[in-house]
Amino acid sequence: MESGLAAYLSPRLANGAPVAIHNLLRIPGGASRETWMFEAAWTADGGERREHLIVRKDPPASLLETDREAEYAFYSSFAGTAVPVPAMRWLEQDPAVLGGPFFIMDRVMVGETSTANLLTPRYNAARGPIARRMYELLGAIHTFDWKDAPLARVTPAPTLDGCWSKELDHWEDVINENELSPQPIARAAIRWLRANPPPPAQRVSVVHGDYRVGNFLYHIDGEIKAIVDWEMSHLGDPLEDLSWSFMEAWQWARDGKPGGIIERPEATAIWEHASGMRADSIAMAWWDVFNSVKAQGIWVTGAKSFQEGRSGELILAMVAYSLINRQDEILLRAMGRGA
Amino acid sequence: MKPDPSRVLFGIASTLSTQLAMEARTPFGAYLAGISAGLTSTLAVEFERIIDRLNTENHALVALVHDAKPFTSGDLRDRVSAAYTELVLPNLLLSTLVGANDRLRALLIDVHVVVEATPSEAALAMDARIWDELRESTRRRHIGIGAY
Repeated sequence: MESGLAAYLSPRLANGAPVAIHNLLRIPGGASRETWMFEAAWTADGGERREHLIVRKDPPASLLETDREAEYAFYSSFAGTAVPVPAMRWLEQDPAVLGGPFFIMDRVMVGETSTANLLTPRYNAARGPIARRMYELLGAIHTFDWKDAPLARVTPAPTLDGCWSKELDHWEDVINENELSPQPIARAAIRWLRANPPPPAQRVSVVHGDYRVGNFLYHIDGEIKAIVDWEMSHLGDPLEDLSWSFMEAWQWARDGKPGGIIERPEATAIWEHASGMRADSIAMAWWDVFNSVKAQGIWVTGAKSFQEGRSGELILAMVAYSLINRQDEILLRAMGRGA
Repeated sequence: MKPDPSRVLFGIASTLSTQLAMEARTPFGAYLAGISAGLTSTLAVEFERIIDRLNTENHALVALVHDAKPFTSGDLRDRVSAAYTELVLPNLLLSTLVGANDRLRALLIDVHVVVEATPSEAALAMDARIWDELRESTRRRHIGIGAY
C-alpha cells in the first residue's frame, strides 16, 4: 500500500519528486470500504512538506456494493457549505493502483467518531450541543440545493411520490440477491410497506443514507467537525434519514435515545425547525419499518460476502450473528408486533 | 470431547479480549482482537444450542403450516401436505437441519401471504399465530452472552 500511494501521489503532490508515506494505519470500522489514514511527505522549495490524508479503498466484497463515484460526488457537493465535510482530493477508478478503486481526502485533524466515548462523563457538557448540531446539520443537508451540485450528475432524482417505492424496490432487490436464508419477518414487512405507502415527500432532498452517531466527527467544544460515510447517499425523502437516525440499533446506551444522546421528540423538533419541514407521524412510522428492512438488507449482504469467501472481514460475520436477529426484533417492534 | 467445545470457545474469546488485545500494536489490531473475541463468544453460545433450536423450530413450523392448510390450494397445498417430511431426516448434521429450516421458513412465507389475503375471522386468528411464531423465532435466536 505504501509504495502504491507514494507512486500515485508523487506527480499529484510533488511534481514527480519522491513522496514518502508515513504512519499508514487502518482505521477500525468501515465495513463497506477500507479506510486508512497516513501522512504524505515530500521536499519542495528546500523544505519538507507534509499532508495528512485519508484513503478509502474498495474491498473485494463488503456490507454493501456502493458506488464510490457517487460517494465522492456527495462529499464534493458539500465542500464549502454549512455542512462540514472533508475536502476530496482524488478519485481513482483503476484497481491496479492500490488493488481496488479508491479515493483520497483530507484528514480532519480534530474530533472523533467513537460511539462509546461520546457517552462518557468527559462529554457531559458537550453532548447536548453535539446532539443539537447533529439535527441542525441534518436539516441543512435536507434543504441543500443540489440541482447544480456534482451529485446531480451521478444520482437520479425520484418524484415526490416515488421516493418511497424507489428505495423499497432497491432494498427488496438487495435482500432478494443476498439473503442466505429466508427472511419471513422482513418479507411480511415489505408486504406491509407496499400495502400502506407513506404520504409523498415534502421535497426531494439529499439523503445521507447512514446518518447516525458514529458517522460524524464530534469535538469536546460541542461542534460537529465533519460528516462522513456518504456511501449510501442518494436523493429522496428526507424523513428516511431522520427515521434512520432514530433506529433502535443505534441507541448505543440502550436507553431509547438516538445515539444515546437525545430524546426523539427533541431531535424531531430541532430538525423541523432547521429544515422547515414536518415529521409526519404516519410517514415516520412507515420509514421506521422501511429502515429496518434496509438495515436487514445491509446485514444479509455482509453475511453473504463472508459466507461465499469474497471477504474475510470478521466484522461481516459478527454483524450477521449479532444484528440479523436483532434487526428482526427491532422490525417487529416497529410494526407494532413487538418481541 | 472435553473440555466442552463451548468452554474452549469462551477460553479463546477470553484470551483474545484480554491478552491478545493488550499485545496489539495498532488500534486496528486491538479492534480485530475484540471482534474475534465477540464472535467466538457468540459461536460458543450458538454451538451449545443450535441443534435443539433448529429441531424445535422445524417441528413448530410443520405444525403451524399444517394448521394453515385449509387456507391453501394447488401447489402450495401440496407443499404444506409434504412439510412433515422435513422432520424425517437422514442424519442430524447441522447442514441437514438448516436446509430443512430454510425450506420450512420459505413455506411459511408463502403460507403467510395466502393467510393475509383471506378475509375471515379464521384467517385473522391464523395470522396472529404466524406472528406469534415469528416473535418466538427471534426469541430462539436471541444471543445473550451475559450468563457466561
